[in-house]
Amino acid sequence: MLQYLVILLDDTSVSFCHYDVTKPERRLISLDDLRQGIRFGMMENLMIQFIYPDYALPQEYLDVIDTIDHSNIKPLSALDCETDIVVVDGWKYNVAKLNGAVVVLRTSWNQLSKNHNNLKGLLNVVMRLSVVITDVERMTASDHEQYKAVLELLGKDVESICLSGKSPQFNLLTDRLMLTEMNNCGAGDMTITLAPNGKFYICPAFYYENEADSVGDLNNGLNIKNRQLYSLDHAPICRKCDAWQCRRCVWLNRKTTLEVNIPSREQCVAAHLERNTSRQLMLSLRSKGTFLPDIEEIKEIDYLDPFEIIRQ
Amino acid sequence: MSETDIKIKDSTASWQDGVAKTITFIVTKDCQLACKYCYLVGKNEKERMSWDVAKRAIDYILDHERDFPEKSVIFEFIGGEPFLEIDLIDRICDYIKVELYSRCHHWFDSYRFSFSTNGINYHTDKVQAFINKNISHLSIGITIDGTQRKHDLNRVWKGVEERGSYLDVVRNIPLWLQQFPEEATKVTISSADIPYIKESVLHLYGLGIHAVNINVVFENVWKDGDDKLFENQLMLLADDIIDGGYYKDYACSFFSENIGKPLDPERENNNWCGAGKMLAVDAAGNFYPCTRFAAYSLRSKEPIVIGNVSDGIDKNKLRPFLALDRITQSPDKCKTCNVASGCAWCQGENYDAAETNTIYQRATAICLMHKARVHANNYYWNKLYRKLEMDGRSTKCEG
Ligand code: SF4
Ligand code: SF4
Repeated sequence: MLQYLVILLDDTSVSFCHYDVTKPERRLISLDDLRQGIRFGMMENLMIQFIYPDYALPQEYLDVIDTIDHSNIKPLSALDCETDIVVVDGWKYNVAKLNGAVVVLRTSWNQLSKNHNNLKGLLNVVMRLSVVITDVERMTASDHEQYKAVLELLGKDVESICLSGKSPQFNLLTDRLMLTEMNNCGAGDMTITLAPNGKFYICPAFYYENEADSVGDLNNGLNIKNRQLYSLDHAPICRKCDAWQCRRCVWLNRKTTLEVNIPSREQCVAAHLERNTSRQLMLSLRSKGTFLPDIEEIKEIDYLDPFEIIRQ
Repeated sequence: MSETDIKIKDSTASWQDGVAKTITFIVTKDCQLACKYCYLVGKNEKERMSWDVAKRAIDYILDHERDFPEKSVIFEFIGGEPFLEIDLIDRICDYIKVELYSRCHHWFDSYRFSFSTNGINYHTDKVQAFINKNISHLSIGITIDGTQRKHDLNRVWKGVEERGSYLDVVRNIPLWLQQFPEEATKVTISSADIPYIKESVLHLYGLGIHAVNINVVFENVWKDGDDKLFENQLMLLADDIIDGGYYKDYACSFFSENIGKPLDPERENNNWCGAGKMLAVDAAGNFYPCTRFAAYSLRSKEPIVIGNVSDGIDKNKLRPFLALDRITQSPDKCKTCNVASGCAWCQGENYDAAETNTIYQRATAICLMHKARVHANNYYWNKLYRKLEMDGRSTKCEG
């Protein structure tokens, strides 16, 4: 069931996920479309998330936005007290400015492998950190080896922060500890995106990849063909999987396997390395005291790609 | 009547059914005929496979033995009409044999070369020399649609629509049956063919062909009332097969004891079609999960290329095929259908007909036709078993 509406306020709105913003020119959504989009969200009972560009919006836009309860996703350069989620693109940031913030950090794998030591400092101050590896689908077997080692080091950092009495939230390692079922991006199933052209898309990535790939517009409403394929029960590999923290990116799925419901091996292996390191973290914390006693232990498994179990 | 008198010929399963990898070479997109139901929308005379592409495909496949663990292999040659490229095929087969031997490959001595031909060139010296050289590893099916009237309705010469090909094919049937007495012929039924089904199958039996593999096309070609006509034809055919005693020595794949039952959503959840477990390569050296995903077979979608002879296979592109199951791709009516078993689908047609670019939306254009087949099939088995029972009783009384 749909729960969220993402509204891209401008063609240059910041990316908070795997995709790149491929439209360099500013194009602000029309005020009328913005109003209609909000109306649609209200009528469908959707939680609205606005995605901002790096420049200040005209006051009349801010006034319209304020007509509904919402959350604001903004680039670091536009960070202000109205920001709910701040997107840091790369590794240039001032830790002090991010104190208490919910942060999305976008990085290539190469940069993550070089800069991961900096994450402990961030985790110590932010409310929540989500790291998005923007080229996760291009990671090789040796990258995965290295990723495993990086996650283990990060696991130690998280553990020491926990032992200092804090409760860090870190998508790669702590989300899986808290979850009891799949919690993925949900594009096309729980979330839909309104683009500055007044049309709906499965998610912003689909808009930037091909504007013709819309799934409805404000005048005619949503029209998602084969909509069932965006739901977990129609994803034959993912529904057998317990890497519940996985983003399960349907756009990457389509890009790599040509089907929105089938992930690439690369996406699965990365998510399983995170899952397995989360498991070690859980065991280690439990060995030192009571930790999330109501949550079931994460099982030991012998695969990194659930495709292998469905093939058996 | 003894036990052995109760004889019912089975539809012949193909060699190593289910355990062999099928590797298809699309050697040419040309054909002498222009069959009216042919799904190959992009046939042409230009795209012929070169030796270089064929060799690179074989080298890739044999170099990656671990990626092809199946016990056996069927190298299939299709077109267009494959025998138009008999020189190339002969060279490919020789090369495969030498390579399997010299590499001690696990397919050595567990391979077949398979052909589906229109039969027109079957008698020619080159084709015959090839057959004689490879006969112990060959399977060849000739397509003949039935009586001359029925065959010539669809299978006409290219450029001469009024000239049917029946006589050009049927003259080769005795030679074919002498060389491959167990082979089946393949018959494809479209809307216009329905009135001729009975006479066609009986005609093929009359030609000495003991197994007729017959299918309705998956495409959405059916008109209102076709299902009733179809049911009627199959009932008449059932009567003739049983009353004429053909069931003992002749098989027709329309009648099968396993069709028309509900299917368990968990235990009987396999995909029907083998796309993805097969591999096809075309003249450009592109790999496909099955020939139906090559551009020349598709009406309305882009081809699904899963690699090529230079870069190899992109395994991510195979995952959707290998993860397919019946329930995930089926609409609700199929999930709860009481006669679901035996109701087939073709992944390529599903893809071609789908509302989005997906192989996960099952097309059900054959729904009413399958239901009609189930009715006739039930009638067939009820009638046949009653006859066998009565025959048994009368023998006992006489005894
Ligand atoms: S790890 Fe793979 S199978 Fe599991 S949810 Fe993620 S994409 Fe799906
Ligand atoms: S297509 Fe029709 S007959 Fe076949 S399984 Fe679906 S509902 Fe049943």
